Amino acid sequence: MSEIKSYIKNLLVRRQIIVAEDRRKLFEDFVANETNCTAVQQILDIQKMLMDKWELQNRIADIQQQPVSIPNGTVGKRYEAILDFKKLGWDDIAQYELAGLELPGLDFIKETNTITGTPAQSGDLKITFRFRLSDEPEDTPLKEKQISLIINPDPKTLWKNIDSDRTDPFWKEDNIAAFDKLGDKHIVVASKRGRSHATVGSFRDDDFAYKYYEATGWSIVVVADGAGSAKLSRQGSKIACKAIVDFFTENFNQESLVEFDQTLLHYKKGTGEGILKKLSHFTYNHLSKAAYSAHLKLAEAATETGANLKDFHSTLIFTLFKKYEFGYALLSFGVGDCPIAVLDKGLSEVTLMNWLDVGDFGGGTRFITMPEIFKDDKFSTRFKFKLMDDFAYLVLMTDGIYDPKFVVEANLEKIEKWKEFMNDLQGNNENNDKVELDAGNKDIASQLSTWMDFWSAGNHDDRTLAIVF
Amino acid sequence: MRRLPVYFLLDTSGSMFGEPIQALNNALSGMVNTLRMDPQALDSLWLSIITFDREIKEVIPLTELVSFQLPEITCPQSGPTHTGKALEVLYEKVKTEVRKGSTEQKGDWKPLLFIFTDGKPSDLQLYREMIPKIKSLNFGAVVACAAGHLADDKMLKELTDTVVHLDTADSSTLKTFFKWVSDTIEQGNKSMGTQESVALPPPPAQINLVI
Repeated sequence: MSEIKSYIKNLLVRRQIIVAEDRRKLFEDFVANETNCTAVQQILDIQKMLMDKWELQNRIADIQQQPVSIPNGTVGKRYEAILDFKKLGWDDIAQYELAGLELPGLDFIKETNTITGTPAQSGDLKITFRFRLSDEPEDTPLKEKQISLIINPDPKTLWKNIDSDRTDPFWKEDNIAAFDKLGDKHIVVASKRGRSHATVGSFRDDDFAYKYYEATGWSIVVVADGAGSAKLSRQGSKIACKAIVDFFTENFNQESLVEFDQTLLHYKKGTGEGILKKLSHFTYNHLSKAAYSAHLKLAEAATETGANLKDFHSTLIFTLFKKYEFGYALLSFGVGDCPIAVLDKGLSEVTLMNWLDVGDFGGGTRFITMPEIFKDDKFSTRFKFKLMDDFAYLVLMTDGIYDPKFVVEANLEKIEKWKEFMNDLQGNNENNDKVELDAGNKDIASQLSTWMDFWSAGNHDDRTLAIVF
Repeated sequence: MRRLPVYFLLDTSGSMFGEPIQALNNALSGMVNTLRMDPQALDSLWLSIITFDREIKEVIPLTELVSFQLPEITCPQSGPTHTGKALEVLYEKVKTEVRKGSTEQKGDWKPLLFIFTDGKPSDLQLYREMIPKIKSLNFGAVVACAAGHLADDKMLKELTDTVVHLDTADSSTLKTFFKWVSDTIEQGNKSMGTQESVALPPPPAQINLVI
């Protein structure tokens, strides 16, 4: 059946007209009539024209609504995104251009359909994609489609450095560094406010203290990290450090140490019974009292200021050391997530002097302010005694250094990681910042302070690093 | 690097159709723009958006802020609010996506959860079954926001202590709420005791903390 005939037939059907048997001939003649044929052909042509037009407009609307996502960029970072016409199913686009890409640093390369460059400005760009389909006449005005392109700011440029409030009763210096003699060794130490604090003008929560006790020949280094979530933790870390130094000033005297010295000699010679146990007992006995004295001082401070003890949350690590004729004795305690390590002279071995309190989640740790740590079964494991011929470095650090430089606990046990760390300190880093660990180096403290400004994405906590050498 | 995973459960049931969903879209987009200007967030924030009506949709799987692109959130003209089912989906996601710390792997910051709803759960039994499971995930904070007079504060209180009530789900109120959400997110990456929750900033005036 011809197209024309079927059209007329359908027309009649739609009008519910039935061609009776005796009118068959009449129908055939009607269909064959030239004028009628031309009329139907015209209708069909117009219909086709309408259909094509509809399809075209539908297609344009499809393209306009099609979600096109191009990756976000970041200021200062090389950017490249390809508009892949094949993937997008845009093979029927005959002509196109991209407008609105007038952002410093970005260009559209038409040959490869690539947006490329290094964005110099952040923003939420609306790019206009103008196009014409191959079925449209060449002089048709171009249709428009919006594509968004997000350029993130460079996080480095967003950090502010706002001074902390000097009138605050618990104000402390934002950055501090020191170099000193510690018995026959030296200490260089720096503590810096993290970017996360500097950007809002809040305080440094870390603290440290050290002392050489001339009367006994012992030295101590203490490092504490106030909890970011606790409002007076800056004072907490300060009180904790001072309490430890004060405790040993008062309680470590010749008299109380006679027995330890003798026991240690036995230990060295390998004589006597239950010697190691005695040493451990001594360590536990003295250091636990010191730790508890810090806890009590914090509790006192809480009562005095009318605040909660947990407002003073702070981690606490410390190491006492003394040179004997036959080597160095080291005693340590730790609560929290700050490591203490000793490296031997040949840098062949690392000894960790504490274990870290780390929870399932970042930032979760324990503090000297928590009464439960003293009752915990693991309390006695927080202490460590070590005798070594000599050591190259005794290192105490807060998680502001540990997180970016060692990342996970397992790395602390690896001597290669410590070698990398020492190389890093010696200038093997992107800024070529160098700390010359030499007692004759007059700039040593400021060198360490500068080195500690290293950039590490996501690590913007306070940083404290103490190195005894 | 430590991530701060933040989950959004958004009610897209029938009652949100029209102006409220538009207001929600605007407010979310404002929030993301605010967060993009925070260097800490750019370094560590990961966002996930799950919507719930009759169906639960993971509109955006956990994605770092730097690559995050907010799509238009839509909702059907009518239909139930499957809050319980949404919690069930969320539970599985959080369990597999959030990294816990070990000696070999850096743990994420405690995840945060924000639930926004303008109604009450249609699947109450499942909702109640999921509550202890959600609590076991140890979120740093779970903030439930009840918008409008049909939202059930009490039901949300069973899930979390932090329930805020918005009188209306209009554009300015939602904007204020999500500004507060971004402030809360900025609190999310600080050291704290292993069992403690994130301290929330005080909510602004239009937002009533349900006690």
